[in-house]
Amino acid sequence: MSSEDLQDTNTEKRFEFKKEEKSAFEAEKGLTEETIRVISEDKDEPEWMLERRLRALEQFKEMPMPDDWPAAPDLSEVDVDQIVPYIRPDIETRGGVDDWNDLPEEIQDTFDKLGIPEAEKNALSGVGAQYESEIVYQNMQERWEEKGVIFCDMDKAVQEHPEIVREYFMTKAVPPSDNKFAALHGAIWSGGSFVYVPEDTTVDMPVQAYFRMNSDGMGQFEHTLIVAEEGSEVHYIEGCSAPKYSEFNLHSGGVEVFVKEGAHVQYSTVQNWSKNTYNLNTKRAIAEADATMEWVSGSMGSKATMLYPSTVLKGPGATDNHITIAFAGEGQDIDTGAKVYHNAPDTKSTIESKSISKDGGRTNYRGLVHMADGATDSSTSVECDALMFDNDSTSDTMPYMEIQEQNVDVAHEATVGKIGDEDVFYLQSRGLDDDDAKQMIVAGFIEPITEELPIEYAVELNRLIELEMEGSLG
Amino acid sequence: MSTQVHANLTEEQVTEISDQLGEPEWLLETRLEALDALGDLDMPEVIRTPGRDWTNLDALDYESFVDPLEFAQEKDRVDAEGVDVLAWTEALEAHGDLIEEQFGAVVDPQRDYLTALSTALFSAGTVVYVPEGVVADEVTIRTRMNSRALFNYTLVVAEDNASVTILERQSTGDDVAGERYYSGVVEATAGENASVQYGTLQDLSEETYNYQVKRGHAGRYGTVNWIEGNLGSRLTKTAVETRLVGESSESKIVGAFFGHGDQHFDLASRVWHENEHTTADLVTRGVLDDSARSVYEGVQNVGREAWDTNSYQRENTLMLSDDSEADASPKLIINNHDTEASHSATVGQVDKEDLFYMTSRSVPPQQATNMLVEGFFVPVLEEIEVEEFREDLEGRVAERLRQ
Repeated sequence: MSSEDLQDTNTEKRFEFKKEEKSAFEAEKGLTEETIRVISEDKDEPEWMLERRLRALEQFKEMPMPDDWPAAPDLSEVDVDQIVPYIRPDIETRGGVDDWNDLPEEIQDTFDKLGIPEAEKNALSGVGAQYESEIVYQNMQERWEEKGVIFCDMDKAVQEHPEIVREYFMTKAVPPSDNKFAALHGAIWSGGSFVYVPEDTTVDMPVQAYFRMNSDGMGQFEHTLIVAEEGSEVHYIEGCSAPKYSEFNLHSGGVEVFVKEGAHVQYSTVQNWSKNTYNLNTKRAIAEADATMEWVSGSMGSKATMLYPSTVLKGPGATDNHITIAFAGEGQDIDTGAKVYHNAPDTKSTIESKSISKDGGRTNYRGLVHMADGATDSSTSVECDALMFDNDSTSDTMPYMEIQEQNVDVAHEATVGKIGDEDVFYLQSRGLDDDDAKQMIVAGFIEPITEELPIEYAVELNRLIELEMEGSLG
Repeated sequence: MSTQVHANLTEEQVTEISDQLGEPEWLLETRLEALDALGDLDMPEVIRTPGRDWTNLDALDYESFVDPLEFAQEKDRVDAEGVDVLAWTEALEAHGDLIEEQFGAVVDPQRDYLTALSTALFSAGTVVYVPEGVVADEVTIRTRMNSRALFNYTLVVAEDNASVTILERQSTGDDVAGERYYSGVVEATAGENASVQYGTLQDLSEETYNYQVKRGHAGRYGTVNWIEGNLGSRLTKTAVETRLVGESSESKIVGAFFGHGDQHFDLASRVWHENEHTTADLVTRGVLDDSARSVYEGVQNVGREAWDTNSYQRENTLMLSDDSEADASPKLIINNHDTEASHSATVGQVDKEDLFYMTSRSVPPQQATNMLVEGFFVPVLEEIEVEEFREDLEGRVAERLRQ
């Protein structure tokens, strides 16, 4: 894609428009009503969306920072008053990086080592790349369109499917009042994906979406809304599988998934944000009767992550599975886990969490299982395993279980261990060097996660872990 | 923060309590400092998830049941050979220097509001001193609370190579009706290669608000074991803690609770591994009936210098009623990778198949349930080495099941 093509896009016009407005922004400290109005006008949003944004803004201002949690990551650096004014200069920076070679060396290097194919490498280096991923999706869309499946970006969904968006957007799953960063998200969200799957429709290929980070200055507040109607099935893969070049130090996305009766949704993420990013997301699913929700996630990057994907099991017979892996290296604090609300009888959930910490990194499993009064014959099992490489690292497990119903089965188990000297010795005695032996043990440790991912993501996750471990072992 | 009690507490009252016990100046000072700190201290930490306090201690009206100069109790102390088991007045006379050195060394007198209150106002209590090399039999302490409020302070010092088992039973007399407040602080030190086992059977009246903190320091090759049986009280907030200070030290915290009616138990078991080759084992089993509630927090904290740590924790709750609620948070905090640690928690009801099996053998359903509940406590009872204590607990469980 040439630079001429770029100039023709709408994005560029918006970019210009924003540039004009820039000075007005600089005058303001913090997130103001004016900022929100400009974002909304910029997107030509309907009045109701602007109203929701403004209401979220009010809530954001009133809510405290989540800094009083036991052993919560240090968010003192996250000055919410500074966040929004940063949006504009960031657009300019992004706009300037349309060449792969302008990316910071560290990120280029990572891509190279990841072995991401040339095409995809281009895809992630600028706006053109975005176009590449759109082609993929366009090709698939024809097939889906015939069945009534909708897959588009969230801004477009507001314009083209207002009736659905209006019903579900931050009303039932993630209301802005949920937490400070959900409120922030509600005020300045932009981009993300919208997936709608009609009744009894099976989307047999995973739906993959790369965020439009590069074409949209507020991409780090992307919103994902998935509505899977009765008896439908879809697997959504979040394409933040590579580090993103960004001057932003905050990512605060929102994910809402509605799994209707008998439907099945799998949501997979391999997150590898740059190591200056605060990743403070809110993800929640509501599962109706006999529905199944599955979260699969790998958290590799970021400076600090606070993310606890939640599922509300609302209908009888609903099922929820969480499979997560967290890897914290030097200077990283990955505070993640899962929340499940069993609000109906015969509901089931399983949580399988694996974490690896090394070089002073900290991982924490922070979870909540809630068994409501009346959730008879429900069961849950939580398993957390932590692997530690060295004495500078920290690994914590902080599960909470709230049980209000006697007729349930609740089990939580967690183990922590160092990488086994004997295992390493055994592999070494079979001719592997120390690094390879340890990598093999880690690969085996996380296998329950990788086997849930499509093969290319599994390979990527393994590669990311190899990268993290490279040179720091032995 | 609450200042409810503070309003009707004076330095004169604290001084009077101190005078009655014939205390040295330093202890009075410590009390007055604790009294003075009340205004700045918070309630003990309780488990909190965003939006929810699991035990609301601030809501208690301490002023209505804390009258500093009104305390009455009956106390039996059965000592063992070679061990001094003394009331405070006697202990201060006999071991003044030792007490000055040890008092507040394990439990910070200003740890939180309720601990400071205990320090300022304690009038009852016991000092157990086990000299170097003495291997003692069982020491038993029975406390019967006969006033609206009672502040009990127990200090245990086991010197190097000493060993002692202490059983404490807490109950309520008939003298006072209505709501009461019981506060107990236990601090225990086990020297090198010493062993302290401290068992408590709390069977206070079900109108009693109960706050207890028990904490031990285990020296090199030392052992501090706790048994914590909770049956009584309206609300209990208790923390049982061991710091494994010396290398190769060990701790076992065994808990059993049985809540019925509208009892609320907020129980914490915490262990800090601070040295090499330390081992901890935390086991708690509880049963909840009617609208009883339990909040359990278990913490295994492995410090950066705690090489070769073994740390295990299990918590199981059996729910007999739909109106009961069990909340649990077993936490692992690991700073040293040379660690084998695990924790687990389960909540469930009486196994239907077991019940069916027994009823099909013509055991009436209620009896079968009772047997299964009694059986549920067995793994915890087995950990209790002292027969008297085991039988006591077993008996109270059986009694409650048949109420």
